[in-house]
Amino acid sequence: MSAPAVHVVPIFATPFGVVTLPEAVTLNSALDTLLSERAPPQWRAARGPGALMFRSREDLGDWPEEPVRRLMSEMLAGVSAVAASISELSEQDFAALRMDARAWFTLVRPDGCVPAKSYANSSWLAVYCVSAPEPSSARVDSGVLRLYESRLGTMFQDPAGSASKLPYRSGHCTWRPVPGEMAVFPAALTHEIALVRASGALILVNARVRFVGSGGAWMPPW
Amino acid sequence: MVMPGLTLQGVFGVPLGTARLAECQRLNGELEALFLAREDDEHRNPMPSHIPQAETFESRFNLFRWPEPCVQELRKFVLDSVVTTVLQATKLLPADLARLTLHNHTWFHISRQVGSFVAHNHPMASWSAVYCVRAGEPVPAEPESGVLRLFDPRYGAGAYRDAANSQLHPAFALTPLDLRLNEGQVVVFPSYLFHEVTPFYGRDIRITVATNCWFA
Repeated sequence: MSAPAVHVVPIFATPFGVVTLPEAVTLNSALDTLLSERAPPQWRAARGPGALMFRSREDLGDWPEEPVRRLMSEMLAGVSAVAASISELSEQDFAALRMDARAWFTLVRPDGCVPAKSYANSSWLAVYCVSAPEPSSARVDSGVLRLYESRLGTMFQDPAGSASKLPYRSGHCTWRPVPGEMAVFPAALTHEIALVRASGALILVNARVRFVGSGGAWMPPW
Repeated sequence: MVMPGLTLQGVFGVPLGTARLAECQRLNGELEALFLAREDDEHRNPMPSHIPQAETFESRFNLFRWPEPCVQELRKFVLDSVVTTVLQATKLLPADLARLTLHNHTWFHISRQVGSFVAHNHPMASWSAVYCVRAGEPVPAEPESGVLRLFDPRYGAGAYRDAANSQLHPAFALTPLDLRLNEGQVVVFPSYLFHEVTPFYGRDIRITVATNCWFA
């Protein structure tokens, strides 16, 4: 019996981009200092419960400081590159779109985490790593970005199906934040930053982004 | 303008059963003592499906086969709660259910400070339940400490929001449901629901018993 000819392709795929920002990595030291200083004094001084995660306002894009402005520029260029790479729009049509973005930073201390979240009225979420503690030997998922599985069709499993490989495997996906690198994925995806079980703070800059057509189509407030 | 005569109903509902074991202190005390005594490698789940962590002990899945009276008393309460939920949520009659065998995987978790359990669901099961043996101390500064969080299965449905769908009544809300379990409380829900236990920041311990059930 001859083997049947099989052609398998992924459908309903979810894009996940990793972008290295070559210039931003040179800014990380200045960003680390600036962002740490901008956390409220009472948070910086605290050591007990409630001091494990700080999330800033979503106004990072308005900050005048040069390191932040340059980072924002690089991050948005990276998001645009990811979106363009899977778009059927022509290069010219894509370039005509305007980007709206809201950005904030997150500091996560040891034993802290960022609870599961997704974002409405946004198409992409970018997570840039300014600094990260060393990986934990005791907890392999310390401080990772975990993107939640959402397909419920996996409730039935047989031995062959449950051993599927990517991109068909069911289960969460994780990405370890590395300084200078940025993850880009759909903003509707539920995701979290897993508990940090290492010494040192994890500092992330996040941006939710959407593209607006030149025709001025209505967009909901965000 | 409000139009009279319009009927609003919930559809695509997720059943959630809750019950409370009255006078649970004695039973919970016996269970806690037993579980702490067996928090060892012999009773640890040898094949954890998720990344194990030092702060949360997970037992083998055979808990309800233990012969100890306290375990069997708990087994009756939890499985009766599951069966009652099934009878209320389905068209099955008690006689129909009586012809089926209820299979279960059941285990206990002991969580210490910063213990948690990642979001997951339970393939190849129809109903899941969690019983609270010990809630652990509340931590006012960390209001989400040690909650059982059920995720809305309508993933992505909240991706578009405007003023008219941002303040839905709880029955229609597109948000996770956080349950702070009380001692003696059991919750029963469909096994397809993704759920997690958020990091527990209390200084003592949190103990729960979880079961997955399937009927054949």
